[in-house]
Amino acid sequence: MLVTDVLVIGAGPAGSSAAKHAALNGAEVLMIDKKSEIGAPKRCAEGVSKEGLKRLGIEPNPRWVTKELSGVCMVSPNGTQVVLDEEKVKLPEAGYILERKVFDKFMAMDAGRTGVQIMVKTLATGMERDGDRIIVSAEHMGHSFKIQTKILIAADGPESRVGRWAGLKTSMKPKNMESCAQFEMVNVDMNEPDCIEFHFGSVAPGGYAWIFPKGDDIANVGLGILNTVTEKTAYQHLLEFVDQCPATQNAQPVELNIGGDPVGGVIKDLVADNVLVVGDAAGMVNPLTGGGIASGMTGGLIAGEVAAQAIKNEDWSAKGMKEYKTRCQEEIGDSFKKYLKAKEYMLSLSDEELDTIAEAFRDSDFESINTTELLKKLVKISPKALLKLGKLF
Amino acid sequence: MIVKDWCMYCGECAGLCPRNLIEVKETSLIFHEEGCKDCRICVQICPVEALEK
Repeated sequence: MLVTDVLVIGAGPAGSSAAKHAALNGAEVLMIDKKSEIGAPKRCAEGVSKEGLKRLGIEPNPRWVTKELSGVCMVSPNGTQVVLDEEKVKLPEAGYILERKVFDKFMAMDAGRTGVQIMVKTLATGMERDGDRIIVSAEHMGHSFKIQTKILIAADGPESRVGRWAGLKTSMKPKNMESCAQFEMVNVDMNEPDCIEFHFGSVAPGGYAWIFPKGDDIANVGLGILNTVTEKTAYQHLLEFVDQCPATQNAQPVELNIGGDPVGGVIKDLVADNVLVVGDAAGMVNPLTGGGIASGMTGGLIAGEVAAQAIKNEDWSAKGMKEYKTRCQEEIGDSFKKYLKAKEYMLSLSDEELDTIAEAFRDSDFESINTTELLKKLVKISPKALLKLGKLF
Repeated sequence: MIVKDWCMYCGECAGLCPRNLIEVKETSLIFHEEGCKDCRICVQICPVEALEK
């Protein structure tokens, strides 16, 4: 049996961040991942905000940054484009497009350099409590073995089972899980190749479609939908989008990515005796954009620090680690509340309303527009849309 | 549960299974069907229609 202070299950950015910060603060850490290659296959549009990385103290590295962005282009159902310059309007997830297969490995390597022991192709199959410790059953290359740990950090993604093994309510509901499909494509012809592009409306019911440029003529072209509002699958919607979008008329796919994105906000139960939940498993995903790299890594950083302190204090009960929930709420959860409202508003608008709004804002100078002016403009162009906004606040 | 060849092992079904019965391995899915209440959420939400009950 392997014995450790902290066991991290899942070596995505959130898991690696948790492992690294637990080790940096003196804990003995083992991190396991079920995949043979950390970071592959990607299940992400690969956008991350500059501010998010900066807050985490991570310097952009040309080995995993494929594109630096200058703004965001919003496209309404009839094709009207509204371009927002990053310097004028602060927008989440507008910063860099990553190569996740490289980025995730780099983050795991960072963790490894701090002393974290890493095991790949290692699947956790169950857990049980043994006094004040946890015993995790695991499999690696046909061998079954057990790991005894004081603290278990569940970073096992949107399909997380670990939190639920610990009795936490981490299961997602279909209305809170965006079903996503994406092609990485070549020969993509973008109007604004330095901007990420969002397409709203019935093209992606319950979500949006995106084109995230990765340099040259390469881009991630994908969408997220809610299964509760459409009969078609995410993949079917993606095929239709690629077929109709002007930018992808001559594009060819080189990769297909599929996956769920939990967009219901941070879950309430983040802590149990011996257990912390981080990243997608904890719903640390921006409900509006679906981006979760920086927020997941922030959660990981907090989890690592709290876990290491709990080891020092010899108290890894839920009470002893309750600081984790408070800090996550302050640093991640609170900001997500406004994004949940914004998302609810966006989804309440019809294609016609989206077109009207986009046409009115198309030529606006966003540098000079404040909230009051935005509302005034909305009253003028679509009182119905404003009414919907009012109902949310 | 029948898992079609084109399953991408994305795990969306596992995240939504209300009874936590689906285990996602790198290239396989294991359904612990003894606890299944036949809600079919997994079948309905699969992004590539790879599951059949």
